[in-house]
Amino acid sequence: MSTTEMTGRQKAIALLATMVLLGVVVVVGLLLREHGPGNMGTGFLGGAGVGVLAVAVVAWRVTRDPDGATTFERAFTQQGDERDDAVLTHALAVLGISAVPLTGAAAVAIGLGADVSMVLALLLFAEILVAATAWAVIVRRS
Amino acid sequence: MDNDVRALRLAASLSQRELGEALSVSRQTVNSIETGRYDPSLPLAIAIARHFHRTVEEIFHVDN
Repeated sequence: MSTTEMTGRQKAIALLATMVLLGVVVVVGLLLREHGPGNMGTGFLGGAGVGVLAVAVVAWRVTRDPDGATTFERAFTQQGDERDDAVLTHALAVLGISAVPLTGAAAVAIGLGADVSMVLALLLFAEILVAATAWAVIVRRS
Repeated sequence: MDNDVRALRLAASLSQRELGEALSVSRQTVNSIETGRYDPSLPLAIAIARHFHRTVEEIFHVDN
């Protein structure tokens, strides 16, 4: 767990990065609403909104009480100690290794004529599931 | 790897949170070290040993 306070410059960089990220999300969302198929833009903005809200909650919890936050919250916000970082590294390693066969399976499915957007969505959900499962198992064991 | 961190912490009347704050790690990390689920890095092991005025070898024992 890092006990060092953020400097003024680090806070400014974090704020700037947040504003840039929000700007990119809004621009991409509006472009998708204008040019994307169906309700893709609305869906993107809705998903991004939920994601931004989740990140804000995590940041608030870590700032308020780092010791009371979960391993994921500390590691995700780069406030973790060496164990938090080790868990994050192991979980990402599992995700990286599993991404190769998952992507291969998705490519085969597309080659066999499966709907591309559906396969890509399933690929994303499968990778999220693998990462979450790996995280839970590694946290329990370490 | 076995260790005597829990015994030393209790002898010093420290909570896991207090020891974690002293070592700049989380309470969960202290708990994981005490239960043997996580082996600390060498710098953290040295920091623990220094905190209790012991050597690393006196606190951590490698299983054979």
